[in-house]
Amino acid sequence: MATSAYWRTRLHRYRLIGNKCAKCGKVFFPPRLVCSYCGSAKLEECKLPERGKLVEYTVVHSAPKGYDAVVPYVVGMVELENGVRVVAQITDVDVDEVKEGMEVELTIRRLPEELEGGMICYTYKFRPVIR
Amino acid sequence: MKCWPMRDVAVISVGYTRVSEHWEKSLKGLFVEASLKALESAGLSATSLDGMYVASALSGYIQGQTNLANVLADSLGLYNKFAISIDAGGASGALAIYEAYRDVAYGMRDVVLVCGVEKMSEASPQEIVSALTSVEDQEQFRYTGVTVHSLAALVYKTYLRRYGAKQEDVALMSVIDHEHALTCSHAQYPFRLSIEAIMGSAFLAEPIRVLEAPSSGDGAAAIIMCSHDKAKELGLPHVRVLASEMAQDRFNLMEREDLLAMRALVEASRRAYEKANIKPSDLSFAELYDDYSVMGVIALEKLGLCGPGEGTKLLKSGEVTLKGSMPVNTFGGLKARGAPLGAVGVYQAAEAFLQLTNNAGPNQVKNARIGLTHTSCGFNSLVVINLFEACC
Repeated sequence: MATSAYWRTRLHRYRLIGNKCAKCGKVFFPPRLVCSYCGSAKLEECKLPERGKLVEYTVVHSAPKGYDAVVPYVVGMVELENGVRVVAQITDVDVDEVKEGMEVELTIRRLPEELEGGMICYTYKFRPVIR
Repeated sequence: MKCWPMRDVAVISVGYTRVSEHWEKSLKGLFVEASLKALESAGLSATSLDGMYVASALSGYIQGQTNLANVLADSLGLYNKFAISIDAGGASGALAIYEAYRDVAYGMRDVVLVCGVEKMSEASPQEIVSALTSVEDQEQFRYTGVTVHSLAALVYKTYLRRYGAKQEDVALMSVIDHEHALTCSHAQYPFRLSIEAIMGSAFLAEPIRVLEAPSSGDGAAAIIMCSHDKAKELGLPHVRVLASEMAQDRFNLMEREDLLAMRALVEASRRAYEKANIKPSDLSFAELYDDYSVMGVIALEKLGLCGPGEGTKLLKSGEVTLKGSMPVNTFGGLKARGAPLGAVGVYQAAEAFLQLTNNAGPNQVKNARIGLTHTSCGFNSLVVINLFEACC
């Protein structure tokens, strides 16, 4: 992926910013250009809640280049406090201790792959909420 | 479009390579081999074609070969005709048939070659995960660590939880595929597979075991389509295309209200049944797109072959084996015949042709009259349902 293509997605990658359909109110992550529910092209930037609960998860054993060095890792479906669902890595927890229903929160982490020229990449992940 | 008169469309011949790791054959070599076989078996030459559709999902990624139809038309000596590439992930092959069907049905073209080709053995296992994940939305999934296997695992676990199903029962899909491939000469893996072997294999993404999904394969499959009248004129054994329908769903699984709804699969099959004026129970067999065992089980349900959550019950009943009342994946399905991604839909059509012309050998479904092929990509985000009928 070109550096500029990656840069264009910085808001959703680094700040969990999606968008909301001005007509029907549906919220999307990543942001969409046209609402997939009502067809409206009027969508407004929308910061998503940084907390939610883990609905379902998997442990990845077969991974693409770069990620094969960090297996096994957890990927989960998180339902945020506003009901929007996001797929992301679950981190800061032993694989054996991950549980459905677990409360999680956003964290931004470095990835094991880089853009051309060695630019470091980060992504949104979720970690258990510490009480 | 509905007011246009439509012609009946036939498939008059098929040609294919075995699915394998063909180290000695190039993408072109596979394409030419399958295409020539189909032409020869119809007694035609490339010059008698109006043109061709080429389906491939990953050649741009793995071989770096874009402009595929143009390159392959030249390799076949097809000049001054039409040549069009179709790229829709796993659905590519069936979508090419969808196009050719309309060309012939609406009288735009008379004789059309459809060839699906994929050469996956030139990518390492890690590159294959990337290549398969490349059919997902790159803006969403590049640089996140989310893989196509991990999405499939979320669907799988949702299925197990909702219906209280056991993985050992879902994985029966792969066991049946391998059983059917035993006597299939073009199958990649013509050997028996036990549940124990599957459950003892490594994980792709938990709970999915390596042996519940196809591995990389090279292969090409071709069919020749023409008007039904032309088929009769040529005096060739042929099958009729009863319907070819497609539908799409929200691409992002997270945007779907229910991971298991598979709306495009439900809609495409509803349209196809309606067009052909048949019920699911009228089918003699079905070729399912089981890129993961669970996707085959879900397909059984969404195609109306059983009720919601009853897929594993149907697998256990034995009715979906070659000896049963509704055989599926009669030559081994994606798991055992093999899944050269963009070619899958054409392999399925070729297999339906063999069944419906009574040329399926030891894999023959008795009194096969109507066969369905289900081909999809991206968790049924795009689904093509093709229905074929025997003509003798």
